[in-house]
This record gives sequence, structure tokens and C-alpha cells, in this order.
Amino acid sequence: MAYPYTHEKEVRLLSRGWGDPASRTLEGWKALGGYEGLRKAVEMSRDEVIGVVKDAGLRGRGGAGFPAGVKWSFMPKEKKGPHYLCCNADESEPGTFKDREIMRWTPHQMIEGCLIAAYAIQAEHVYIYCRGEFFETNEIVGRAVEEAYEAGLAGKDILGSGVDIDVTVHVGAGAYICGEETGLMNSLEGRRGLPRVKPPFPAASGLFGKPTTINNVETLSAVPHIVVNGAEWYRQWGTEKSPGTKLFCVSGHVKRPGNYELPLGFPLKELIHGVCGGLREGRKLKAVVPGGSSVPFLNAAECETCSLSYEGVVEAGSMLGCASVMVMDDSTNIVKQVRRTVDFFSHESCGQCTPCREGTTWLARILKRIETGRGTEEDLETLLDLGDQMTGTTICVLSDSAAAPVRSSIEKFRDDYLALIRRGEKVGAA
Amino acid sequence: MSDETTERAPFRNPGWAGNTGEFELSEDEVRGRSYVGEHAPEGGHPSRVPTVPYMLPEKDPEAPLFEGPYAERFEKILSRYPNRRAALLPTLNLAQELRGRVSPETMAEVAQLLGLSDAYVRGVATFYTMYNKRPVGRYLIQVCTNVSCNLCGGDEVLAAFLEHTGTEAGEISDDGLFTVMEVECLAACGFPTAVQINSRYFENVTPDDVPAVLDRLREEAS
Repeated sequence: MAYPYTHEKEVRLLSRGWGDPASRTLEGWKALGGYEGLRKAVEMSRDEVIGVVKDAGLRGRGGAGFPAGVKWSFMPKEKKGPHYLCCNADESEPGTFKDREIMRWTPHQMIEGCLIAAYAIQAEHVYIYCRGEFFETNEIVGRAVEEAYEAGLAGKDILGSGVDIDVTVHVGAGAYICGEETGLMNSLEGRRGLPRVKPPFPAASGLFGKPTTINNVETLSAVPHIVVNGAEWYRQWGTEKSPGTKLFCVSGHVKRPGNYELPLGFPLKELIHGVCGGLREGRKLKAVVPGGSSVPFLNAAECETCSLSYEGVVEAGSMLGCASVMVMDDSTNIVKQVRRTVDFFSHESCGQCTPCREGTTWLARILKRIETGRGTEEDLETLLDLGDQMTGTTICVLSDSAAAPVRSSIEKFRDDYLALIRRGEKVGAA
Repeated sequence: MSDETTERAPFRNPGWAGNTGEFELSEDEVRGRSYVGEHAPEGGHPSRVPTVPYMLPEKDPEAPLFEGPYAERFEKILSRYPNRRAALLPTLNLAQELRGRVSPETMAEVAQLLGLSDAYVRGVATFYTMYNKRPVGRYLIQVCTNVSCNLCGGDEVLAAFLEHTGTEAGEISDDGLFTVMEVECLAACGFPTAVQINSRYFENVTPDDVPAVLDRLREEAS
């Protein structure tokens, strides 16, 4: 079941139980085989747990796609002080709405994944950094953690293994940048959520200066399934480089928007026109943003052949990101949507690095000028030039993320810009 | 599925998570209220204590920081972190739950509680958008206008809320009930337009739904 819609092509590992209130409870989650993964993991050595996740090829679902098992293996083997695990539940990339569904329908799935990961990296405390706006969802997660403590699944001597793992649900206060791993750590420490310069990487010096691993909710939620069923089982789905299933968040101009859990490598065209029921009547596809606001646009032709794996989307000219597929039909005013995206980045820039703080503001101003019919062709060159200066020049990638949709939209939808510039009137009906 | 149900937003229940698609679900089931249980002022188990504030409609700008069950909750928060600085965000959350906003005076009080400087706390508090630096109405209505909602009419929903409350963005309505604001992506992009009203999400909201949503809130407040 993938709330609110299902499709026969789905492979429901993480999304089974969605839409069924019973699966929220400890009892309901156990009925679905829950906590078998944790039980199995604590009987394995830490290296064996890391090994199976590595072999499964599970890649980070937060956007970067870094292999989770490899990340875990960076943690010191000799424990000299506290180790921490952060679960990144600060879901705020525009277009992404998968983690909230995991958290509100199957919170124990995420908690079980956290506990297994914490065991593997010898973390004594897990901080689940939840997005502040998720009041209702956070309370569900909070209740589930409480249930886990009551059942001896968290806290002292979990499942009689002699291992202690505390879990705390921490809540942010409204800042996109706290979804960046080191920004999240600063925020958890009670600071402004400013990303840190790397190195040192979190595995060496992370939260409170201690070795830390940070994983996305969806990554951790896949872990129990892998531990129970094994790496080969997980690799039956997806591609060689992108194994397993992925939650695809589809929004925008499709008939049946929602989350669909599909094998990685699924064709984008079939996702839009098959699984999601196609576009509204009489409309044609104009553009797709395949991975959330931070990634380049694809035009209709590129969507024809795009395969939704980490490598497939790169080949098509964009990035998979967190697989947040925003679909735009031919009624869309691309310039307006790019401007709205850049407004977002401008609002969310932490202000630490000049190219980003100034760059996002100027991009937004110039785009507004074009949108309102006061732009010039020279503005397009200025936008591209600014984008170049904002790419690879800052501590984190927020700046690059703002530049990517601007550059790709000018390259792929230049006519939309020119129509506004030359005629001084708006295109599209959006 | 029939043709009719393949149209967008087929199941409309204005006032809450409007579109449950192929699922028959009550509002309580979507929101998980009976699973979570009653709001405990002292916050329940320490592991979950930072998940509150509850963002309650009733606020007292003069409420002490902290007394009774709130003092208990504050101590539980402190117990979950290796130092007092890390308790800053949860403590500000708690102060806002009680007082409805985080004024400069509140920041100073929180600074004292945690052994931090006023300037440091102000620097942090002003970084985060969810701390209300100015008073807001009983119901803070935040409308997503980011791309996914925008494609499906988020701007029009925002305009409808402003029109029907008779306010400008960020103002408090004359009856003290409403403050309407634009908000960045609420991570409910498959249910456009997403609107957050205090702690609750209202999804699949269209401009036509707005009067019913506001009526429901007025009824709750009376």
C-alpha cells in the first residue's frame, strides 16, 4: 500500500503498511515482521552487519547516493569516546514527501533501522532530527520511540544483548539548511544551522566533536529488510549501480500524484504516463524536475528515455537526488517556477558564504525582472555567469543547487525566457 | 478505477488531509491522534520530550519559564544532551508553546536558564523561521507556495486565505483569530495545496475550501 494510491508495478518493502493505521503501533509493526532485523543484527558481529549493507549496495536516499555501508565503515573501530548516529528526518527539499510518510505510517520501521545502524557503528545515542513543521508526525515518532523503550528495544541492554542505545527525538525549528549533514549537527548542538567545512568528516569529528554517522530516514528504513533477507535478495531489484527499491515522490501535473515504491531503474516515462495515470486531459509534458528543487530540469525529449537510477538520470542530464519527480505540463510558466525555486534558496541560504548569500538574491531579482516583462537578453548571460560563480565555490551545495535549475532552464527553455523578454508578456497559464 | 476517480483530488474532505486516494480513512487515523494519546504537559518519556511543543491555541505571554509540569519537561530535555547549549532549540520551543512567541525578553530568560549569553540566543533564535518574533493570531495559517503546490494553485489558495480573513500576510485579523503567511515546502507535495494551521496539516486545499476551513477554526475557538 502506498498512500494515497497504489499501483501493480510497485514493490512494497518500505511502503507496505502505509495507509493502515495498525502498522503504526509496535504490535502492528511486529505483525509485519518488525524488529526481526534488530534481533538478527544483535546476534551478528558489527562487521557482519556493515558487510551485508555494503554488499546490498544500499545508497543514501537523502540525495547524494553515497553507499550507506561504506559510510558506516568509516567510523572508528576502536571506541575511545561516545559515537553518535543522526537520523536525518528534516525532510524539506521541495518536491520530497517520502520521509514524512515513513514516519507517520511506519515509525517503527525507521526506529528499527536506527537501532541496527547504531549497533553497527557502536553509537550509544541516536538523535532523530525531525523537521519542526511535522508536529503531528513528530508526536507519532515520539510515541513509537516510547513504545520501543517500554518493550526493551531501546535503552539499556536492548533485547538482552548487553548493548545500550538511547534514542532521542529532536525537533528543528524551520531551516532547510539543517537538512545538510553538518548544518544539522550544528543545529542539534544548539547553534545556527551553518554547514561546516569538510574535512574533518563527521566520522572523525561530527556531533559534539565525536565520531558520527548521519543517514536519511529512507536509507535507515531499508536496513531492517536487508538484514533480515540478505544482500542478494535486495539486489534482485534495481540496477548493478543502484540496487533495490526507491520511493518516488511524484507531484505536479499528473492525475495520481503520490509516493510509489519502484525498483531503481524504472523508466521515467512509464512512471508519469502509466503509474501516475498520465497528465491532465489535453495536456502535453513540458518539463520534469526528477530529484527535487536542487537538480537540473529535464525537457520532454529527455524524459522519453530517462531511466530512474542514480546513473540513469545523470546520463539523461540531471540527478536522481531524492527522487522527487515534479511534473510540469505545457501550461507551466517555467520562468515563474524557476524564480519560485530560486526565491526558496535565497530565503534558505544560511548567509555564510558570499557567492550563495549574494548570488541567490541576485538570481531571484533578475528572474523576477524577467518574469514581469522587464528583462533583457543580456540578463540571461548574467544569470549564467552568476550561476558559474556560485558553483563549487561554497561550503555546502545549496549554492550549486540554486544555480542548477537556472542554468538548465535557460539551456532547455530559452524560448520561454525570450518570449517574456521580447514581448514583455507572460507565457503559459500557470 | 472508474474514470471519475482518476481525476485529481477525487475524495474531498475539506478541513483536513483531504485526499485519501484509494484509502478509506478517518481524520483521526490520518493524524494518528488516538495512537499518540492525550497531550501530557510534562511531556511523557524523556526520549520523546523534545517532540513537543504542542502548539496549543491557548497562550499566555506572561507564563513563567518554567513551573510545575513544564519545569519537569525542561529537566527531561536537559537530560537528553551532553551539554546545556544543545537544549537551546527544545527550550525555545517550550517557551513558544507557553507564550506563543519568542520575544527578546524570552530569549534573555532562556539564555539565563542555559548559561548562554543573550546575544548568542538571539543569534540562534532569529536564524530559525518557526520562532515567532512577533505575536501571531490564535491560528497561524501557513500556505505552501513552493513549486509542487504552486503548479497546482498555491498562490490562489494563499490569496483566498488572505481575502477571507481580511488580512495582509503576517498581520493578525481583527478578531485575533488568524495570521496568514506564506511558507516554504511542507513536504506534502503530493497533496497540493498543503496548508499548516498551528500543528495540523490541511492538504489538498483549494480556494473553494477556504471558507469551510475558516468556519471550522472559528467553531473550535468559540
